[in-house]
Amino acid sequence: MPGNKFLATADVAAWLGELSKTMRVFAPRNEGQAVVYREFDAAKGLELRRKPTESAKHALFPRSEELLSFSYLRPAFGAPEKEGETPSDVSQVQVKMPVEPMPTVVFGMLGCDAGSVTTFDPIYDGSKFKDVYYLKKRQATVFIVRACAEVLSTCFCNWVGGDPANTKNADVLATELSDGWLLQPVTERGEKALTSPLLKDAPAASEGQATAIHDNARKSLGDAPNLEGIDAALFSLFADNDFWQRQSAGCLACGTCTYLCPTCHCFSITDETSARNGVRLRSWDTCMASLYTLEASGHNPRSLKAARLRNRVGHKFAYFLRNNDGQISCCGCGRCIKSCPSSVDIRQIVKDALVQAASIAPPPPPQPVAPAAASPKPAAPVKGKGRTKEKANG
Amino acid sequence: MDDELKGAIRKVLPDVDCVIGWGPGPDPLRSAPFFMRKPEEVDAFVVGPLAVNNPAVFLPEYKGKKVGIVVKGCDSRSVVQQIAEGLVKREEVVIIGFPCSGVVDIQKIAAQLGQDIEPGMVTSLSISSDKLTVNVKDTAKTMDMADVRADKCASCQYPNAVVSDEFVGTPKEGKTDDYADLAAFEEKSIDERFAFWEQEMSRCIRCYACRNACPLCVCRDHCVATSREPHWLNQADSTREKLFFQLIHATHLAGRCTGCGECSRACPVGIPVGLFKRTMTRAAARLFDYQAGTNAETVPPLQTFATEEPTIKEREW
Amino acid sequence: MADIAKIPVYSPDMANPYMPYVATLKEVIRETHNIMTFRVVLDDAEAMKNFRHEPGQVGQLSVYGVGEATFVINSPPTRREFIQFSVMRAGEVTSALHKLKVGDKVGVRAPLGNHFDYNAMKGKNILFVGGGIGMAPLRTLLLYMFDNRDDYGKISLLYGARSPEDMAFSYEIEEWRKTKNTDVVLTIDREAEGWKERVGLIPNVLLEMNPSPKDTVAITCGPPIMIKFTLQALDKLKFQPEQIFTTLERRMKCGIGICGRCNIGDKYVCVDGPVFSYAELRGMVDEL
Repeated sequence: MPGNKFLATADVAAWLGELSKTMRVFAPRNEGQAVVYREFDAAKGLELRRKPTESAKHALFPRSEELLSFSYLRPAFGAPEKEGETPSDVSQVQVKMPVEPMPTVVFGMLGCDAGSVTTFDPIYDGSKFKDVYYLKKRQATVFIVRACAEVLSTCFCNWVGGDPANTKNADVLATELSDGWLLQPVTERGEKALTSPLLKDAPAASEGQATAIHDNARKSLGDAPNLEGIDAALFSLFADNDFWQRQSAGCLACGTCTYLCPTCHCFSITDETSARNGVRLRSWDTCMASLYTLEASGHNPRSLKAARLRNRVGHKFAYFLRNNDGQISCCGCGRCIKSCPSSVDIRQIVKDALVQAASIAPPPPPQPVAPAAASPKPAAPVKGKGRTKEKANG
Repeated sequence: MDDELKGAIRKVLPDVDCVIGWGPGPDPLRSAPFFMRKPEEVDAFVVGPLAVNNPAVFLPEYKGKKVGIVVKGCDSRSVVQQIAEGLVKREEVVIIGFPCSGVVDIQKIAAQLGQDIEPGMVTSLSISSDKLTVNVKDTAKTMDMADVRADKCASCQYPNAVVSDEFVGTPKEGKTDDYADLAAFEEKSIDERFAFWEQEMSRCIRCYACRNACPLCVCRDHCVATSREPHWLNQADSTREKLFFQLIHATHLAGRCTGCGECSRACPVGIPVGLFKRTMTRAAARLFDYQAGTNAETVPPLQTFATEEPTIKEREW
Repeated sequence: MADIAKIPVYSPDMANPYMPYVATLKEVIRETHNIMTFRVVLDDAEAMKNFRHEPGQVGQLSVYGVGEATFVINSPPTRREFIQFSVMRAGEVTSALHKLKVGDKVGVRAPLGNHFDYNAMKGKNILFVGGGIGMAPLRTLLLYMFDNRDDYGKISLLYGARSPEDMAFSYEIEEWRKTKNTDVVLTIDREAEGWKERVGLIPNVLLEMNPSPKDTVAITCGPPIMIKFTLQALDKLKFQPEQIFTTLERRMKCGIGICGRCNIGDKYVCVDGPVFSYAELRGMVDEL
């Protein structure tokens, strides 16, 4: 293919260094026992074999991010200086918008990580509301996806429409050959990112070599089970408390699964102040935490960890599908399984749910009685991009 | 021993809601917490070097019900401390103990496997008394158990359950803990130590697995980590806040931590947060001659007070 | 650093849906020991002039440095001199709001969410059942209907609170009563000195009232437990699920369907609600 480039192993760091001059370059490296995506620093090395412990989502969705900042002209919460003045008098406040994002390249993200962007986009780029903080970063970020040569026992991207050499949302597909990297542009933006003199035209045989590596990885993933009907199964099991209590028995209700998850997109918004300055922060939040849904009144619709695990699995394999053309919001990276301190395995929950739902819901009799008003949800996913807003009382 | 333990579990099963132990995990190197309710479920019970998790973390959830629990020596100390602090009632738990030969640390196995093989590529393993052999594709790799055992096992004083209702097997001899790891760490200057923690904590993702894996962390759903009232920590992704939480956590565990190591093990990004607690544990031992989780009848030193602590010479300061 | 006046103000289709309008408190009313009503005006006169909302829609009210919380807009779209919120003191933001005085500034992101379909209710009898602070969303629709009185049949309101002192909007109830073809029934949980109205829990009083479901729409709001038993009572009175509407509360942050926490299964209270018919609720997962 014209446009395919070759980057010698010895030149990888030099090329990333070159890119770093004009862009923010995220690349995986070892830190302690973890592999993390950080801004490239030649002195701190690269890790392009082992699979990153965390996802690359923080390139678009930082762990915490300023939505706005404000600064009081006098102490925000000190005593009023004059009679009648209150600390909340924001007429004496200056509000600042965050700065525009830097052009960014994420080098070496996995195919599953790139695939996960498909679940972010319809939410953050909704039909009615646009999340400018996300969208600006999204538009300014180039994804160079690294094809997987090896898969782990926790990998299951092929269950959910992924692929070890996924090019969905990728701008460039990178495959490690014996002496360097084949860089295949996927988008025009990707092509434009491959202009360095360090990149040579790829030899003709390299594409075939890369394909062989991709095929080999695909084969080692094994067969994927048929997940058709998983959304209906999870809806039908919603009230099966025993099922969810069993599935969640070993769960510690920590946030590891959700924070490592490339598709988990939930956040909190808090105001954080220090003396006269403050920020309205958006920070990662987790539906596995009890405080997540705790209302000021003390009421908590998901006070039990069983309800919270049900929500996490439900969101990925049922709720999201209904609002997004049947798209499963799990990319199969397996990080939630690999890093769960309690070995909770979402694959097993999904498989158990299919079996359990089949056992409690035998096929409907040929002549069903008139359905009650509380008819089940429509089996077909809602049509249209993004969440379709239905009028509640139309 | 496996069969004897399974027998003991089946024996207590009729009297309890469930027995908590270990069962098959998602991959060959890991087991998973296992909640046995029926005799036939006991067949899949797993024990040995892969019985890594501390099942005591789940006990407080079962308050008001009687449950059985299979414990390593370190796990039993958590149960004892939970009983001492009133988090668990002695009469509501049936403790099944066994002599533990140590558990593996998957990160150490990873180190042994080398840079190009990840633990997730292991397809099967076999364990003998002092060797662990893993198969990756067509090749086998054998490692010494001594090289892959969890750090806590090297200084394990209580390999047998401290308290048990059923004990299966011949008790093992305990080792001594000289806190050599702490001493080595303290060789570093204050600046070096602070730089170390800054570097380590910078990759904390604030998932609070360290907190939730702790069998003695009791606030959980009301933790200062995310509460707004009190608002002690802010949600910024800053090393300062992350370190602050660890110091709060360690302080809350002073004289209570039994050193099960679950906080460090649970950390998805491998931050050795257990070191903070070990410092406090050593201090509790030196100041109060107290070792948490060894006697359910004693009151933890920081849950009571003496007008004049014999080891703290306040007036001489 | 940009001047606050130059920050673009909020509107649902504008560039940044997280940026609030700056607004000034024009009037603060103490309703009960823990409920206060705030009447606010957007500082940007143009934005205030163009501000439109529908009965049932909510807004995010914020105190800079403390945070945001969601409240229903309880002034009707027919009365646009101010935007009104009634706030029950419960958490951090509501406590901060309760300390504010006339002239203080707040942030406002509104309107958000769906609304009552008052057009579909035209020509029908309307039964409002409100409990405590749940009267706030009903007030918006009630006043809207008063302002379009001839479009609707008989209006009945059952409004309950724990005690006479807990009854918000008490100063305007007499005016509501005087509106033509309108019945107002008030109830408190326990007998109180000087109380001349009903005594008893809302669902029980509702059953005593025995309203006919014929050509009637029932709209209820209140604490989750009250809603639950009111729905049961309406069911007993032979109201069909399609005839019953309620507004739900859920912890919210973004208010625009992104942050994730207010979901009930695949529905988000902030964008798919807060108004739901009972028929819709029965088709949703049971996680209130």
